[in-house]
Amino acid sequence: MATASPSVFLLMVNGQVESAQFPEYDDLYCKYCFVYGQDWAPTAGLEEGISQITSKSQDVRQALVWNFPIDVTFKSTNPYGWPQIVLSVYGPDVFGNDVVRGYGAVHVPFSPGRHKRTIPMFVPESTSKLQKFTSWFMGRRPEYTDPKVVAQGEGREDENTEAEIPRSTWVCLCPIPALMLSFCPQ
Amino acid sequence: MNPREEKVKIITEEFIENDEDADMGRQKRNSKVRRQPRKKQPPTALPKEMVSEESHLGNQPEPVQEEPKTHLLSMTVRRGPRSLPPIPSTSRTGFAEFSMRGRMREKLQAARSKAESALLQEIPTPRPRRLRSPSKKELETEFGTEPGKEVESTQQEIDSRSYSRVKFRDSARKIKPKPQVPPGFPSPEEAYNFFTFSFDPEPEESEEKPKARHRAGTNQEEEEGEEEEPPARGRGKEMDEEELLNGDDAEDFLLGLDHMADDFVAVRPADYESIHDRLQMETEMFFIPSRQTVPTYKKLPENVQPRFLEDEGLYTGVRPEVARTNQNIMENRLLMQDPERRWFGDDGRILALPNPIKPFPSRRPVLTQEQSIKAELETLYKKAVKYVHSSQHMIRSGDHPGNFQLDIDISGLIFTHHPCFSREHVLAAKLAQLYDQYLARHQRNKAKFLTDKLQALRNAVQTGVDPEKPHSSLDTIQKTINEYKSEIRQTRKFRDAEQEKDRTLLKTIIKVWKEMKSLREFQRFTNTPLKLVLRKEKVDQKADEEAYEAEIQAEISELLEEHTEEYAQKMEEYRTSLHQWKAWRKAQRAKKKKRKQAAEDHPDNEIEEPHPEEDLVKPTPPEPTDRAVIEHEVRERAAQSRRRPWEPTLVPELSLAGSVTPSDQCPRAEVSRREDVKKRSVYLKVLFNNKEVSRTVSRPLGADFRVHFGQIFNLQIVNWPESLTLQVYETIGHSSPTLLAEVFLPIPETTVVTGRAPIEEVEFSSNQHVTLDHEGVGSGVPFSFEADGSNQLILMTSGKVSHSVAWAVGENGIPLIPPLSQQNIGFRSALKRADAISSIGTSGLTDMKKLAKWAAESKLDPNDPNNAPLMQLISVATSGESYVPDFFRLEQLQQEFNFVSDQELNRSKRFRLLHLRSQEVPEFRNYKQVPVYDREIMEKVFQDYEKRLRDRSVIETKEHIDTHRAIVAKYLQQVRESVINRFLIAKQYFLLADMIVEEEVPNISILGLSLFKLAEQKRPLRPRRKGRKKVTAQNLSDGDIKLLVNIVRAYDIPVRKLAMSKFQQPSKSSRMFSEKRAASPSTHSPTHNADYPLGQVLVRPFVEVSFQRTVCHTTTAEGPNPSWNEELELPFKAPNGDYSTASLQSVKDIVFINIFDEVLHDVLEDDRERGSGIHTRIERHWLGCVKIPFSTIYFQARIDGTFKIDIPPVLLGYNKERNMILERGFDSVRSLSEGSYITLFITIEPQLVPGESIREKFESQEDEKLLQATEKFQAECALKFPNRQCLTTVIDISGKTVFITRYLKPLNPPQELLNVYPNNLQATAELVARYVSLIPFLPDTVSFGGICDLWSTSDQFLDLLAGDEEEHAVLLCNYFLSLGKKAWLLMGNAIPEGPTAYVLTWEQGHYLIWNPCSGHFYGQFDTFCPLKNVGCLIGPDNIWFNIQRYDSPLRINFDVTKPKLWKSFFSRSLPYPGLSSVQPEELIYQRSDKAAAAELQDRIEKILKEKIMDWRPRHLTRWNRYCTSTLRHFLPLLEKSQGEDVEDDHRAELLKQLGDYRFSGFPLHMPYSEVKPLIDAVYSTGVHNINVPNVEFALAVYIHPYPKNVLSVWIYVASLIRNR
Repeated sequence: MATASPSVFLLMVNGQVESAQFPEYDDLYCKYCFVYGQDWAPTAGLEEGISQITSKSQDVRQALVWNFPIDVTFKSTNPYGWPQIVLSVYGPDVFGNDVVRGYGAVHVPFSPGRHKRTIPMFVPESTSKLQKFTSWFMGRRPEYTDPKVVAQGEGREDENTEAEIPRSTWVCLCPIPALMLSFCPQ
Repeated sequence: MNPREEKVKIITEEFIENDEDADMGRQKRNSKVRRQPRKKQPPTALPKEMVSEESHLGNQPEPVQEEPKTHLLSMTVRRGPRSLPPIPSTSRTGFAEFSMRGRMREKLQAARSKAESALLQEIPTPRPRRLRSPSKKELETEFGTEPGKEVESTQQEIDSRSYSRVKFRDSARKIKPKPQVPPGFPSPEEAYNFFTFSFDPEPEESEEKPKARHRAGTNQEEEEGEEEEPPARGRGKEMDEEELLNGDDAEDFLLGLDHMADDFVAVRPADYESIHDRLQMETEMFFIPSRQTVPTYKKLPENVQPRFLEDEGLYTGVRPEVARTNQNIMENRLLMQDPERRWFGDDGRILALPNPIKPFPSRRPVLTQEQSIKAELETLYKKAVKYVHSSQHMIRSGDHPGNFQLDIDISGLIFTHHPCFSREHVLAAKLAQLYDQYLARHQRNKAKFLTDKLQALRNAVQTGVDPEKPHSSLDTIQKTINEYKSEIRQTRKFRDAEQEKDRTLLKTIIKVWKEMKSLREFQRFTNTPLKLVLRKEKVDQKADEEAYEAEIQAEISELLEEHTEEYAQKMEEYRTSLHQWKAWRKAQRAKKKKRKQAAEDHPDNEIEEPHPEEDLVKPTPPEPTDRAVIEHEVRERAAQSRRRPWEPTLVPELSLAGSVTPSDQCPRAEVSRREDVKKRSVYLKVLFNNKEVSRTVSRPLGADFRVHFGQIFNLQIVNWPESLTLQVYETIGHSSPTLLAEVFLPIPETTVVTGRAPIEEVEFSSNQHVTLDHEGVGSGVPFSFEADGSNQLILMTSGKVSHSVAWAVGENGIPLIPPLSQQNIGFRSALKRADAISSIGTSGLTDMKKLAKWAAESKLDPNDPNNAPLMQLISVATSGESYVPDFFRLEQLQQEFNFVSDQELNRSKRFRLLHLRSQEVPEFRNYKQVPVYDREIMEKVFQDYEKRLRDRSVIETKEHIDTHRAIVAKYLQQVRESVINRFLIAKQYFLLADMIVEEEVPNISILGLSLFKLAEQKRPLRPRRKGRKKVTAQNLSDGDIKLLVNIVRAYDIPVRKLAMSKFQQPSKSSRMFSEKRAASPSTHSPTHNADYPLGQVLVRPFVEVSFQRTVCHTTTAEGPNPSWNEELELPFKAPNGDYSTASLQSVKDIVFINIFDEVLHDVLEDDRERGSGIHTRIERHWLGCVKIPFSTIYFQARIDGTFKIDIPPVLLGYNKERNMILERGFDSVRSLSEGSYITLFITIEPQLVPGESIREKFESQEDEKLLQATEKFQAECALKFPNRQCLTTVIDISGKTVFITRYLKPLNPPQELLNVYPNNLQATAELVARYVSLIPFLPDTVSFGGICDLWSTSDQFLDLLAGDEEEHAVLLCNYFLSLGKKAWLLMGNAIPEGPTAYVLTWEQGHYLIWNPCSGHFYGQFDTFCPLKNVGCLIGPDNIWFNIQRYDSPLRINFDVTKPKLWKSFFSRSLPYPGLSSVQPEELIYQRSDKAAAAELQDRIEKILKEKIMDWRPRHLTRWNRYCTSTLRHFLPLLEKSQGEDVEDDHRAELLKQLGDYRFSGFPLHMPYSEVKPLIDAVYSTGVHNINVPNVEFALAVYIHPYPKNVLSVWIYVASLIRNR
């Protein structure tokens, strides 16, 4: 009886990737995915998503508004490995290549309710100036092998220092209308 | 079965159907109109509604859908009184039903005609069925399949939820077409009809089997009965009320009825829970502690009044500040969770520590490592900041902004020496000093004190000795007496010293005074007014004398006692030593005697004879002490140190009463001195924090060298003072002042305030040298009192400043002291100490021990934070020095925050599971979803793990069958574990490239290339392979990795034999094939055509690839040289879903590439149908296989080449005759294309990065020079040909570096093998190679996780019976060497193994390349040789590196004597030093154990048979025993001939014996390591896949034991189909 249906608790995440501030770039889209621990499993909803391309608003804010919904439910037995949402933003460069404009990760809020999160975005920096130029020229910026690594600790020692956080580059992950945390006793 | 219960259940269903209602009802109730009469309902509806209503009321907040059971219960309870006939329940229902049924039936009849037409189409077909079907025992499955089955009533097991949904939908559908009624509510008639209608399909049933229907009816009738009953009974207040309700709701209700009638599926609306429900539910599920203040009585045990410790005068400390609401919440929570109230103190408040700060630092001081030193020494640039703002000296704005005041009272200055001192002054100063000392001593009067003490002690001893005192044991008395005595001794000593000092001081004073007097007389004037008067005090001589005598006597007696004790002790010592001495003496004498004898015998030796022991000196007995001597001593001492009894007590008194000689009576020198003094003036500067804040007025120096200032300076300060200094300046005449000295004043304690501060004197001294030309003695200049200038002394200017420093007191009596927080770090410790003590009102205490004692005595409340610094100080002081731990603890508060004990934590299964998982124990490494509760964790989870731990030493033979192999497996496992543990550190290491994809640094060529690329064709005609992106195995999951197998073509597949095919191939299909034959790609020789006149297809091979039990196959091609060119994709799953490099390296799975022949059999039974239909059965016959371990693919990244197909030696029905004919021509290279070959390309998608083996320096016992040479050699080789393998040193199994040639040494092969072909060397060589190949292959990377390549010696290899290419090659090479061949170890690359080791031998005129793992050998020019390039050759005494242009064996010259082609390691410059071999002298072989082999054979056969039966779960597996026995006889023959040239005989024999069977089968041959590979091999042949009904199987196993337990396993599997 026990192993068949072990008690779990559910974590429902509802929300949207609202908008971003990328003053230097336009026409961006974003991807999201979740990184979670071993004891977690998604039960419903989409674990990954890719948004539409959005353009800057014409007003002073110059916000890139996606309003891209996120709706996923996890079940888990252990708060360890609490899900993190990983966002990566892409957009075309001068030559029209899709290059990554920012990575960012944030834990799913721990308490129910509405939360607004603003995530600083960063991209890995080229190891040398020459490479910087060529990568710009070739449209092959350095990027993570997998966006999920930004939510993981392993192997980040080397690259940490070279990450670049462009000034005022943020993604708002916001109003999460309801984050439900419920225990299902069985 | 209790019918009542059933009924009740049905009601539930019904009720659930009415759930729409219920929901509404609930909502209404929730909006607090609960008791309001709610609905008007037709009478029929009433009871049910009531029931539901009741139930609702009963379990108000419970969501109904979730828990029907509770309702059930409540209903049953309710129902009892309601239906109320006084009959026992079972019979009652029955009774009621029957009457009800009658009525029902009437109604039915009436309603039927009306309802039928209207509702028939509305009712979905399954519904009536549903009605019948729900049964208690048979569940949902019955619904569709058995419609005619007897009706059973209950719907117990069926999920009410799903029902309700369906139901709701249905009803919705029904409602739609009736627009006249309000949406959602059918009219009452309709509802009624609807309800009744559902009985139609089975009226006869109900009549025919009333008994059977009884149950079925129960529900329906019950419902209806209830509907009808209420009006008849007419009871219930609620009912009355409900009658008043309006009709809308009644309809509403009827709707519910309808559903129930036609469908027992409970239908409910979509699961919507209103927010109120939700909240209510949540309030039930969640506990939200209230914020209300908890009354005190709740927090305390009953009848206990709160007790306030403060009121009782105890100090309780200041509680940490917590918001009131938080506190309330916590209290409420604790009350709920922990009813024992142990969290609450006596005063009804939560227990709280006043101060959570630990007294001791838990972080050790920063280690001074080299790095950190550098870091510490690093110069840091800091921007200049204003002093005021710099640090904690700044008073924070929040503080009291007032100025603090320090009062410095400088009263005066006295010079104890000054350059202008005359000689008399010097003496006077000395005298004054001595007198001061005398006064001080006199005040303390230590001698008196000690004398008293001595007296008291003596008294104590006397009373203690008194035997009449009974109240303590003798022992303790003795002890205390001893203690007293020692104390007496001590005290006496002190007293004597003190008395002596007193006496000497007095003497010195008198002496100085005498000197002074003589000086005055000598110089005939006086400079100082000092005068010493000695006052004599008369004493009572007699008493005094008596006391003196008594004292002396007491002392003498004590001393005597002491001495006697000592004497006794010494005597004892003496005795023992004497004894020893005597013994020694005796021994010595005996020895001497002996020596003498020895000397006589060997006179030469005498000199060498050492003196073994130094001579013991004969001890001298101690002398007893003489009383007279002691008395003499004592008296002498007393005379020296003590005032004699007859002498009067002398009391010196110093006065300034003397007169100073006026200047005019003095000599000139003196006059000029006095004038000089008058010229001088002195002033003081006050320096606060090293800044001058004020100075005193300049005062002239008096003749007595005293200066009086009497000035008070009020220093208004803002900060805590750092330093307070006085500078003494002296001005001579009008010259500039000179700094005489600096005086540092102590900063007063906070308790020292103005008015209470005593005047203190601080000494100062100057080191200036002054020589004066007058009577003044000067400073730092030697002078003398004597006329002859002897006895010189040098005095420096010195003096005392009398002052007082204190804190000022403000207007309201508050001392103006800066707060303590401002105290500088620099002298914090000092201040703290001072402050700690001053806080209790004392100051100046420095003896911590005493302080501690005092604190303990005065019972200081240690919890009072006011005392905290003091207590800490004491604890620090008493425990020695300040306690600074030499460790660094990360979790210093762990103890405080441990919420369960460790034992309890360890007992927790969940914790254990998590712990093991985080430790990456293999069993738990990827354990997902660790359950929340302990009880949900099964014991069995740990069983495997515990078993493994237990079995680590126990040998389990079950899995391995053969004990020896089991031991080896265990051993390997252990070696592996230890090696892995050794290298665990470097396990998880990521490179930047693993994380970030980045373009490489472009150089010109790449840039140029990329520019060139722009102009390149988009789709070149001859595309080239591009390098793929490599993926680290970090973020992979199941399904991400695929194995791509590209099967290109095959050569020389065995073809079917004519005879066989004649009757196997039906004419029809053959004709069809013959048509195709023309297009067949195979090139046929004329001879071939002759063999197959009909031009029948020779073989229709296809390839099946199986990996991890996934199977893919190609299409069928035709002919012996088929070309498929197909890509197969197989998913790869890592063990446990763990895609880390270490895990991937240890994947042991093997890719099986099996070649089958597809054989079509005509199964058409009737020849007449042949024209109209084809019935063929496809059979597939296994032809051979290629096995490639996954690890090879993983490390090689791709495998591309042509492989020899492993074809069983006997393939019934197939032959390769054609090849044989063709082949005989090239006998010199006889191996050429003896077998069949397949061209493959295998890779992994995406490409994985193989783990890099750790290059680590291993310790070595090799010569250092040799090691250097190897490094040099390797570097040189790598420079020239980086891709060629060059091996000079290897790591042996114990992890040491060994020079490689030490492994090569002639070793004897087993004698058995040599005896087989005594004359044929070549055959023996083949046999030996075969023997070596029979030793199982186990790659090191698998066993050692890619860490390193370990080489074991040949005897270890034979003991382990497992090893990889190197071990095989070494053994084979050694055998060949012992056979007298010229043999080398050949290091190179081969397919599919990659870097590997082969053996090269020199036969007459040509070279042969041996694959040690398969036992095959190839000529140098064999194109199919798997060896693709040659790196180096290793002989027993040298290493040759290939420096030829090519490295393919086809194109190189193996003549190692040519230095242009082969670079040798040992050459003339570095001759071969003659290294000893690590191999054993000789290999010892045990005879093969035939009996064990036979036993193993039986067991394997049994296991395999069972497996085959397992694989055929749907079919019967018959075993043909006759065939099996035939095969069993045949297998030893195969072993003997090594699978050659027996086919024909065998076939003939088989045909003879099994003439009427169609037989297909083959023997498999493999070395034996474990059972699993055997099983896999059998499985991969797919013999078991034959599904012909009358198939029979035969399986025979033969194990041929070779020496050293090397086993050759033959498995013959065959399937037989009886020919009709």
